[in-house]
Amino acid sequence: MGHEKVLLVDDEREFTQILAQRMESRGVGVDAVASGSEALEKAKGAFYDAIVLDLAMPEMDGIETLKRLLEINPDLQVILLTGHASMERGIEAVKLGAMDFLAKPADIQKLMEKIGEAKANKMLLVEKRTEQRIKGILNAKGW
Amino acid sequence: MNEAHPRRGQRRLAFFGRIGADISHEMRNVLSVIGEYAGLLDDLLVLAETGRPLDHARLKTLTKNLAAQVKKGTETTERFNRFSHTAEEQTASFDLIAVVEDVAALVQRHVRLEGHRLEVELPNREIRVTNNAFDLQYAVFAAVGILLKCLEKDEPVAVKVDAEGSTAALSISGRAAAGDEPGGRTSRLVAVMNELGGTVNTSWNDGTLSLVLAVPTD
Repeated sequence: MGHEKVLLVDDEREFTQILAQRMESRGVGVDAVASGSEALEKAKGAFYDAIVLDLAMPEMDGIETLKRLLEINPDLQVILLTGHASMERGIEAVKLGAMDFLAKPADIQKLMEKIGEAKANKMLLVEKRTEQRIKGILNAKGW
Repeated sequence: MNEAHPRRGQRRLAFFGRIGADISHEMRNVLSVIGEYAGLLDDLLVLAETGRPLDHARLKTLTKNLAAQVKKGTETTERFNRFSHTAEEQTASFDLIAVVEDVAALVQRHVRLEGHRLEVELPNREIRVTNNAFDLQYAVFAAVGILLKCLEKDEPVAVKVDAEGSTAALSISGRAAAGDEPGGRTSRLVAVMNELGGTVNTSWNDGTLSLVLAVPTD
């Protein structure tokens, strides 16, 4: 694992700032934003191996942000951080297309493992898409 | 018009649950930040073991920030503790300013998640009231909730308290969208204020919607 690029989304700026530092010291490149709308802007213009998204945020919550992120790119690997004691909303997020969810405060090792999984998932999807594209070209040429 | 007994119990329990849920979220946030600081300290110690010198200035900042989070958590817990005790007594004598300060802090998260902020302006003196502090806090919470439904985007909720003669007035106001008035949403608030021997006055002035809760002072 190494050289992953992650987008961290949480309105609790102090939390985001320290978690970003800890992730960077483990070789992960981190962009941090404080709202769902900023996350959407970032996701449009950059490539991320994983998006770590807080559930409870003002203006646009984690679930709404997740839906809109997947509309931009259905291959995005989103890991939800949930402060809720119940797992219901985390499960709801997974049903909507999130890769996984972790309870906040998340253990850094677990989070790093999930980011590694996200990167592997993303690479598989990229390979699959490339294969499909090549097949499409070959079919079009009748080969 | 007074509130029916079973509905009153239900409403009080729902209010208590709502505040409890918000506070537990707030505390979890505080603990998450503390957890990350502890992790960062641990990371620095691991690096120190491999020969990288400890940055004392950075450590000082970290411990200062940790202390600030502990203070924030302690204050939140104390406010919630005082709030919880108000549910035990039907009627008691209390300082209205202290109670409004507590409930305003407890509903901050709710207001923030709706995309607004609270601006609280309280006089630097005691206003003694003998009443049901829990229901009065509910009235403030309900009035803030009603106003949030009418506010324009990003506009703050202003909370002010004043007393004149034998009446204290809690004003909850903000800039609201034209024509968006609370209407029927105030009926439960009116019933609660009636039981507290007080009144609710809704007014609209130059784009600002105000709900003024008036209660008798001691």
